[in-house]
Amino acid sequence: MTNIVALNSQTHRALHVTPSGQDARNFVGVVIAEFPHLIPHYPILFSKDAETGAFYCGAMLGFDPDENLFSGEGANVYRPLNLQRGPFFTAGSELVIDLDSPKVGAGERLFDDDGAPTAYLKSIMALFRDLVPGIERSRIFTETLLGLKLIEPIDIDIGLDDGTKRSLVGLYTINKDVLRELPDADVLTLFRRGYLHLIHLMIGSLAHIPVLARKKNNRLLESTGLKL
Amino acid sequence: MTGVMGAMQAIKDIVIVGGGTAGWLTAAVIAARHQGRIKAGHFSVTLVESPSVSIIGVGEGTWPTIRTTLKKIGVSETEFFRNCDAAFKQGGKFARWTTGADDDFYYHPLVLPEGFHDINLVPHWLAETGGRSFCDAVCVQGVLCDEGLAPKTIATAEYEGAANYAYHLDAGKFAPFLQRHATGKLGVRHVLADVTQVNQQENGDIANLVTEQAGIIAGDLFVDCTGFASLLLGKTLQVPFKSCSSVLFCDTALAVQVPFDRPDAPMASQTNATAQKAGWIWDIALPTRRGIGHVYSSRHMSEDVARETLAAYVGPQIKDLKVRKIPIRSGHRETFWKNNCVAVGLAAGFLEPLESSAIVLGELSAKLIAEQMPATREVMDIVAASFNDVTAYRWGRIIDFLKLHYCLTKRTDSQFWIDNADPATIPERLQNLLKLWKYRSPWFFDEFDRLEEVFPAASYQYVLYGMGFRTEVDPYEIAQTARMAAQYMRQNMAIAARLRAELPKNRELVQKIQTYGLQPI
Repeated sequence: MTNIVALNSQTHRALHVTPSGQDARNFVGVVIAEFPHLIPHYPILFSKDAETGAFYCGAMLGFDPDENLFSGEGANVYRPLNLQRGPFFTAGSELVIDLDSPKVGAGERLFDDDGAPTAYLKSIMALFRDLVPGIERSRIFTETLLGLKLIEPIDIDIGLDDGTKRSLVGLYTINKDVLRELPDADVLTLFRRGYLHLIHLMIGSLAHIPVLARKKNNRLLESTGLKL
Repeated sequence: MTGVMGAMQAIKDIVIVGGGTAGWLTAAVIAARHQGRIKAGHFSVTLVESPSVSIIGVGEGTWPTIRTTLKKIGVSETEFFRNCDAAFKQGGKFARWTTGADDDFYYHPLVLPEGFHDINLVPHWLAETGGRSFCDAVCVQGVLCDEGLAPKTIATAEYEGAANYAYHLDAGKFAPFLQRHATGKLGVRHVLADVTQVNQQENGDIANLVTEQAGIIAGDLFVDCTGFASLLLGKTLQVPFKSCSSVLFCDTALAVQVPFDRPDAPMASQTNATAQKAGWIWDIALPTRRGIGHVYSSRHMSEDVARETLAAYVGPQIKDLKVRKIPIRSGHRETFWKNNCVAVGLAAGFLEPLESSAIVLGELSAKLIAEQMPATREVMDIVAASFNDVTAYRWGRIIDFLKLHYCLTKRTDSQFWIDNADPATIPERLQNLLKLWKYRSPWFFDEFDRLEEVFPAASYQYVLYGMGFRTEVDPYEIAQTARMAAQYMRQNMAIAARLRAELPKNRELVQKIQTYGLQPI
């Protein structure tokens, strides 16, 4: 359940929020400005919004539905903005919070005793100043690629050491054949808008999928006590 | 010159007469297939439409082939939904056809039985004692229909589905939609004019059309899509009509459009076909309304009683609605392609709308013409002969398949049903198959599926075993595949459980498509 209310320095003066913690999901939406931060660790792919069917780009975190193979990495690994924002959202220009989120209760204060925002809350407000326009820019990037037929489905099939298999569907990546055949004028446009760089980051990020599979395998082995 | 040089005449100007669903569908299919030649200026498709004749527009049910057809002609599925008031159709639900009791129904879904290419599940199901319907034992679609679910989600790409599907659509909007696409994107020329005279050459070929508003229109191949009038093939070329009213008795339809009580009322995911005393009632859900019609045999029921029957089905609101009477002349032309003229749609023939054969036959004919487009007049007769063979075969099989729904009945509550079960009214080929099927159920390796069958062996299975037909089972024969059969049936249950959890309601998805659209991939 969700209980979303506008954030208020009076009523929420004593509220505590856990900034880190478990984000039990295997895919999270990202904005294109994050790509350079994501590229050292995450496969960057497209998926579709379950509600509208619209394409969006995101980082793959795991293979099973609630599996985040990056949880517990702490500051070693860049954490996507959509995870950093915790229980906060925006509604129009207003900052709102889901009071039913498990992240609400203990942790950092949002306001000091005088009702002024804490450093933590200020960082959240700064985060949304990046995230909100970033979502729109990422949408335009995705629409542009879709219009050029540069997006294609990718089937991710892995076999694990315990004999089980995982097949991920509903993920999409760059169609390299279409990219190669792209007319010069389109290539130039993509380059000038900085999209060509992002496209190559997405292609390169696919190399993280087998790494992620190994990570999952190691965890499986650890949990069964078979660590080699 | 054409007289002497006739044999070498290249086929490059196609003239289609008639602007209904069949006409625009044929124009779009031919133009899409020959786009390269059209763009190069070596080929043309012209559609001549009378500005004064209104289209029939009762065909509201389609077959899954329509998805391939629309995709091939380059239509976006989202645009199709938005412009044609389309909704998902996952088959037919046939109520009261077998015993006439309140709980008597079966589905003819659009998916194949699980593992159909590996194994025939019919004998295994027949040997079961569980009481599951054949449809539920072998496929998911009956369950999806029971719950009014869509065959896909908003995240499924255009024309793809978790379950096979077709559409219900507003035929009055479909033809104009195809027209905009064909003229705007595919280079089809549209001429609004009444044909006043058809000129023939010495060999009988159509030379040109004289029109009231646009002068003379010449062509190399003429496609007759003039509906019941059959202006070119019937009137000009004198190809006789072959009635099949001794097999299929229904000859009249009373159609009405019924608004929903509220805009978010559930929409059925299948065509409902409910048997009556002398025919049946179709019930097709579009986003905006339900199309309901009583198809009946006027030899077995008076119009007054037929109207009362329809009113009893629709309810009191029928008082304010306009009921349209449509004659159904069941049958088809003896040949479909003669000289340089081929008929598509109602000009070729018509059957009662049971199993929605009208649009699919038009699609198949259009596709065949487009693919087999003769290069010259010299080879046209060869193409015509094979077109006639295939098309006559298709009409025959559709008539057989429609008759199957009637002749398997156990109803004896009216002369209509008694007459339908009379062997004298059952085509010989169907009678022979029914004899054969007592010992062996129809399947994949039969003579079925030898060409693009309108109704494959799976369709016969659903109707036969939906209507309680029994095929003898040899326990020794099925023992060797029993494990595989059990595995496929379990797999089917697992798929059904997953899809029930994943799929939205038909209404919900259609609304989402109108709001957000489907993605092309």
